[in-house]
Amino acid sequence: MARRRTYTVAMVSDYFFPQPGGVESHIYQLSSKLIDRGHKVIIITHAYDDRKGVRYLTNGVKVYHVPFFVIYRNTTFPTVFSFFPVFRNICIRERIEIVHGHGSLSSLCHEAILHARTMGLRTVFTDHSLFGFADAASILTNKLLKFILSDVDHSICVSHTCKENTVLRASLDPLMVSVIPNAIVAESFRPRNYRSSSRAGANGFQTDPPPARPLAPHEMITIVVISRLFYNKGTDLLTAAIPRILEEHPNTRFLIAGSGPNAIDLEQMIETNVLQDRVQMLGSIRHEEVRDVMTRGHIYLHPSLTEAFGTVIVEAASCGLYVVCTQVGGIPEVLPSHMTTFAKPEEDDVVAATGKAITAMRAGQVRTEKFHDQVKKMYSWSNVALRTERVYDGITGTISEEDFYGCDTGGYNGSRIRDFTLIDRLKRYYGCGIWAGKLFCLCVAIDYLFFLFLEWWFPRENIDTCPDWPRKPSADERTSSVDADAKRP
Amino acid sequence: MLTTTPRLYTRRPSPTTAEFTVTTLPPPTIPLRILRVLLLALRVALVLLTALALHARWLSSPYAQPSLPSTCPTGDGWFSMEAVWYALDTLHKSSLGQLVGGLVENVPLVVLLPAAAALCYLLALRVHTTESLLVMRGLGVQTSSSPATYLASATSRFIPTEKIRDIFVNEAFRGFEVRYYLIVVVEGEENVVVVFPRLLPRRSIVETVWRGARACLYESRGGDTTEEKG
Repeated sequence: MARRRTYTVAMVSDYFFPQPGGVESHIYQLSSKLIDRGHKVIIITHAYDDRKGVRYLTNGVKVYHVPFFVIYRNTTFPTVFSFFPVFRNICIRERIEIVHGHGSLSSLCHEAILHARTMGLRTVFTDHSLFGFADAASILTNKLLKFILSDVDHSICVSHTCKENTVLRASLDPLMVSVIPNAIVAESFRPRNYRSSSRAGANGFQTDPPPARPLAPHEMITIVVISRLFYNKGTDLLTAAIPRILEEHPNTRFLIAGSGPNAIDLEQMIETNVLQDRVQMLGSIRHEEVRDVMTRGHIYLHPSLTEAFGTVIVEAASCGLYVVCTQVGGIPEVLPSHMTTFAKPEEDDVVAATGKAITAMRAGQVRTEKFHDQVKKMYSWSNVALRTERVYDGITGTISEEDFYGCDTGGYNGSRIRDFTLIDRLKRYYGCGIWAGKLFCLCVAIDYLFFLFLEWWFPRENIDTCPDWPRKPSADERTSSVDADAKRP
Repeated sequence: MLTTTPRLYTRRPSPTTAEFTVTTLPPPTIPLRILRVLLLALRVALVLLTALALHARWLSSPYAQPSLPSTCPTGDGWFSMEAVWYALDTLHKSSLGQLVGGLVENVPLVVLLPAAAALCYLLALRVHTTESLLVMRGLGVQTSSSPATYLASATSRFIPTEKIRDIFVNEAFRGFEVRYYLIVVVEGEENVVVVFPRLLPRRSIVETVWRGARACLYESRGGDTTEEKG
């Protein structure tokens, strides 16, 4: 077998650990799986409190916490050009080939992509969120996204809905946007009393997990809600629906984890309806505790109003919970229909859908004990890494353009390879709008001049390159590689 | 021409001692020596000129004593105070003295004094920076750094072996760059000691010094730990 080509990739995002969140864990998991596949991955993010400078995580993931000024919800101030010198230095010393940005609100990511193109590096952008088109903030963000994505080599979205949204927002060629979903670490989300089915099949046959104990007629059904309590997560819907659900179904209770500005509404609702014994609020929990909270329940309710992917419902299904969720964004794509009940994002429908789910659970129609193994097969980070690698192959020309984009090119026969000639880049940016196009061109031209200045002021040969992290950290191999490293002049 | 990129010199007077010196001084050649002597002469001349200018300004002020000896001292008098005053007087009357005096006459003191101080400081600055690490097995390590000016003396710091917890190469942001640097972790101190703090030589030098220092300090154990720690 021919040796696969490996790449050195820089993941750039404002969002990374220690801050918790979906994008953060996506970047970490994807990076570590890519490293397992033999690539070299570094992560560039901004400094968090005392976390500045260069750090290593497990598996040799190197993180650069660039000291910058944070303005809003951990997003850095958009200092278009001030990031360039540091970024260039990092790219040269790590011999970066591909810059992979995450998160459409992260200005660090946008800047990195712009500079990377100026430096002649391939770029990939992953969008994790959905946006509207109507309000002023969205219009601005969309314009910015269009600016950045008009020159990016390839984009990745986490769901088809997200892809549609991104294609419309940034006026992209749909073929240049791939869909690669999020995944979960299935081992961290096992149901309670889970026994690995592979162990049971000693005679070569896979046995089904034992059927769950049927619910007693009046047994308490616990509905779990884990979400940050923000408006866009549908907390208002939840506040309205809980009293009605509890009224209609006597032996049910709610377990709510998470915090946020709308927590106060929930508390008021509990006070008003005197539901203290049936609604328990746990406050914010750490990500490691999510599984323990989930396994306490039977049904997971996800009332979100907008969601690009919804990793949390995959986690819930993996824990063996029946999922009730609103039919918004990318959620309908995520789980097969036998694991979910969908509701329209309105109070009546949420109440009705939850009622249906409770009835189905009581009737024993849902085989929740099988969910974990099914989810495990559907979502794994190794698969995400494999698909991301294919995108890298496509943009660097390791696999041919026909292979990568397919033969049905939708009537457009030009090349989709983005070359680095300044005039071609300017042409692409110029199409962004009457005024915006000119402004963007100006930006790109200045960036290019700045790049030339940096090449002169901090010459490339004065920048030390980093040694690669010794791979495959098995005990004896590790020492031998360090020895080899030590012998190198 | 006068400086180079930091270069490493290693001196091993005995198997248990090693001195690593990083300097921007180029290898000594005849033209370089001549140039350095000329530079030094120029510095001295400029400092004297500054002093002359300040004195001329003093003379033009109303507080100055007008009486100056105008006779040339003879014999032993060459080494007396009068001789100095006489030389100064002659200088002030020469065309150079006239020029300098004319220049500084109308400059306000608020400008002149800081300017003179700044000039003297600039002239006292050293061209080369030399930093070194001396490693002695069983005793410890000593870092030293040449002073910035000719007026100050070299700073050095000795760290005994029992206080050294580790020596390793780290990387950090500095200005617009990420640099490699060698650090010594000292027991009981919050801050680490950076070796070669002003020059921050390149990775190849830092690694050589790190290997050499470990080999010298810990004998056989040198270089058997991982190269960097995050």
